[in-house]
Amino acid sequence: MPSTLPPYALPGTLLGPATKYLPGPGTHIHESHIYSSIAGNVRSTTSRAAPPPTPTNKPPTTNTPTTPSTPTPANNTKSKPLPLLTVSRDDAAEGQDTMGILGVGGGAGNPILPEVESIVLARVTRLGQRFASVEILVVGDSVCRESFQGMIRREDVRATEKDKVKIEESFRVGDLVRGVVISLGDQSNYYLSTAQNELGVVMAKSEAGNTMYPVSWKEFVDAKTGARERRKVAKPF
Amino acid sequence: MAALSDRRRINAPSGGTSAPVFSKALKEPGYLEELRPQRIRAPKELRKIFLQTSIIPSASGSAYLEIPNAPSSHPATLIPPTSSLKIAASVQGPKPLPRSAPFSPTLLLSTTVKFAPFATRHRRGYIRDAAERDLGVHLETALRGVIIGERWPKSGVEIVVTVLEGDEGAWWGQEGGSNGSGWGLLNVLAGCITAAGSAIIDAGIDCVDMVSGGVAAFVQDPSADGRLLVLDPSPAEHRDIIAACAVGYLHSRDEVTEVWLRGDAGLEAADSLIEGAAQAAEGSFSVMKEVFIENLEKNGNAQGLEGAGGKRKHADVEMAG
Amino acid sequence: MAPSQPAHVNLSPAELSFLRSSLSQTPPIRLDNTKGPRDFRSMIAEYDVLPSTNGSARIALEDGTEALVGVKAEVEKSQWRPNVEGRHTLSVAVGVDVDMADDDGQEGEENKGKGQNGWIEISVEIPGFREDDALPVFLASMLTESLLASGELKDRLYINQRFHWKLGIDVLLLSPPLSYPLALLSMTTHLALLTAHLPALKSEKDEDPLFDDDWDAAVPLYPKHDAQGGTNVDKPPIIVLAIAVGSNIIFDPCKEELAVADAVLAVGCAPSNASSTGARIVSIRTIDPPAHLTPPAVPNSMNSATGGVAPASTADALTQRELLSATGVWTPPRGGMKRSLISQVTSMVVGKGGVAEEVIAALQAIEVG
Repeated sequence: MPSTLPPYALPGTLLGPATKYLPGPGTHIHESHIYSSIAGNVRSTTSRAAPPPTPTNKPPTTNTPTTPSTPTPANNTKSKPLPLLTVSRDDAAEGQDTMGILGVGGGAGNPILPEVESIVLARVTRLGQRFASVEILVVGDSVCRESFQGMIRREDVRATEKDKVKIEESFRVGDLVRGVVISLGDQSNYYLSTAQNELGVVMAKSEAGNTMYPVSWKEFVDAKTGARERRKVAKPF
Repeated sequence: MAALSDRRRINAPSGGTSAPVFSKALKEPGYLEELRPQRIRAPKELRKIFLQTSIIPSASGSAYLEIPNAPSSHPATLIPPTSSLKIAASVQGPKPLPRSAPFSPTLLLSTTVKFAPFATRHRRGYIRDAAERDLGVHLETALRGVIIGERWPKSGVEIVVTVLEGDEGAWWGQEGGSNGSGWGLLNVLAGCITAAGSAIIDAGIDCVDMVSGGVAAFVQDPSADGRLLVLDPSPAEHRDIIAACAVGYLHSRDEVTEVWLRGDAGLEAADSLIEGAAQAAEGSFSVMKEVFIENLEKNGNAQGLEGAGGKRKHADVEMAG
Repeated sequence: MAPSQPAHVNLSPAELSFLRSSLSQTPPIRLDNTKGPRDFRSMIAEYDVLPSTNGSARIALEDGTEALVGVKAEVEKSQWRPNVEGRHTLSVAVGVDVDMADDDGQEGEENKGKGQNGWIEISVEIPGFREDDALPVFLASMLTESLLASGELKDRLYINQRFHWKLGIDVLLLSPPLSYPLALLSMTTHLALLTAHLPALKSEKDEDPLFDDDWDAAVPLYPKHDAQGGTNVDKPPIIVLAIAVGSNIIFDPCKEELAVADAVLAVGCAPSNASSTGARIVSIRTIDPPAHLTPPAVPNSMNSATGGVAPASTADALTQRELLSATGVWTPPRGGMKRSLISQVTSMVVGKGGVAEEVIAALQAIEVG
């Protein structure tokens, strides 16, 4: 079955019928066939816990994508999940050899957008009464070309005692924060949350300008002066 | 547009002078006509196309398209008899929308087409004129249908196309003639579509297909006594263009996202014009495909998509539509 | 993005889906269910509304959009171009004969091919838009293009070697652009041009032009009869807007119908020279359907509020969303238009008894009646 797959595809390349494969990132369905939607390498994976397809009129209502591949009895004929087709750009190879007219590495890099549930690194830019404004610098493992605007609302800073949170005792401008995107938010901001042990300030400088190290879940200590400052601290390891 | 005069620069006097008129052309009635370029390509043969992607490092995707001078049947004059097309397209983004912009569930596309001031025989200003804005709208229409915008919520992408050299609307000896000006814009649009379409794929934005541009025209044919359908017309080579059409064509879906037809076309003529333009776009498509396959091969793949093996330096493909 | 802005309506995905499914039935059920796919909305039209213009018209549609067009003609000095004369003799020498020349009288022959595109200037003003915004620019160039497609109008502006008429056509949309106003503007322009008159010329040949001050003697810009007294004469073009929903083609869409269209096509057409066929095409442009900007719907299966399960990752969401096609859950249309569909639209517009013929006849009737 995978022998019919081309090694790589351009947008609009026919990859296979939608009854045999599931469309993954980089593909789309047109008239019940799967086509590529970007230029890149084609991969087919079966390990993914994907919902069994119902290519006819009924959307997959009962199957949950989160439960690991448990074929539902409703789907009588196919008990195995179909292979998921993805097309992805190979960025590893790029950048080293792609000499543009104007220099190295033109056009490289997957464009990334923050999405719900992605872990991001952000720098605090402004503090307000009810929220801290941040700029998102890293999404997952990839550095963004341009920073995205984000916001940590007061009630999203920590999981307990939400009503006692004070923004100025949790963040300072310039702090580096690890957070999780909880919503694509309003027109300009992504909403972040730090309400987990692993999330919060990971790097901070004291008022004196020295690097600090965390000593508890709510305090950093200046390595030189020994001054303590309050933060929502991410679990250090 | 007089209201949009450029206030930020010291401009050349308005009006200016027309490009040189040679006395020989006035004295000898037949001389000027001798210089007129003739189309020596077959009616369905395209000009050569050069395309390269990833030329601008700071952009997330970019492409450069060049359609060189048509082979000329005439010795060099001071003014080149035919014009060439050189277009650079860059894609910035997808990036977050500016703070002031309202929420958008899909990818917002903004296209800017600008002629370099030296792109045509008549100098263009720095502020975009009506024709350039119009081209921008056409280009946006052509691209919007291709992009799967719902996969990029809350973000925008800017497509900036700079025309370094544009096809002239008519032969220099005939400028401002009967239904002269403006035919070159169709060629420019087709070039813009091909270049911007390549740049978008280079940027890795989800597209339903590859979009390429093509032009076809009906010209007055002195020999065949009637109208003749030509693909990829170089306006300088034809005395009277009756109607012309540019399309943005999706190869594998066999659809068009953009049609720009102008001129006095009848009913059947309109159909065959669109048909012809799609054929021309097919030519641009084959070049695009070669270029991208080459790029993918360069990134460490052994086999070609359809057995297209062998490494080429650049896609410089000559073809007959 | 501007051309789609005015047509942008705030409909929910469910409404969009409902509208689309009713429009793609055979026969389509339009928003105004008394209308068939080829029916235009009713309108109020009048002409000669502005006393200080050479021709003017006003058209108001039933949805409240209203356009006003004034045509002004001014005498202008022509710029001397060195190769005009040369070109003229040359074209005679080579023997290129333009076949339309036969239809024109002696006078037409004289002006043939002397008109210049720059002599006609169209400006479109739409409230809420700057004049250099994409929408007015797009509308103006589409109108100009259709007007210039047949060289006959600009040739009539030729007075003599040194002077010509300069035609200024000012198009004003009096209301905010509720639906895509192209068809309305073109119909209003058509009516204004049809009723426009130029003062009769009294001087001869290359003299400084002198005109008859009797307005009754003025000659119409678009003569009703040609030199032989025939009625097959040039008329200003009109632009017809058509949308495709599935395999259905619907003319003169209202803004809600426009919002669910798969493709939008503007076809400019002028009455045919030969009376046998209906009309001829002078320009075609695709317009970006506003549906591309609509939000995709969230199906119940992906919505935790309605008993479904929100997808764990975007990759999953993408997979599920792709599998939704053809389930009736609203997804913005993708891709372009089949060529067969375009040719179907054009033949419906310009074919015998087509939409164009009807519209032109209707506008003609306004002037007569």
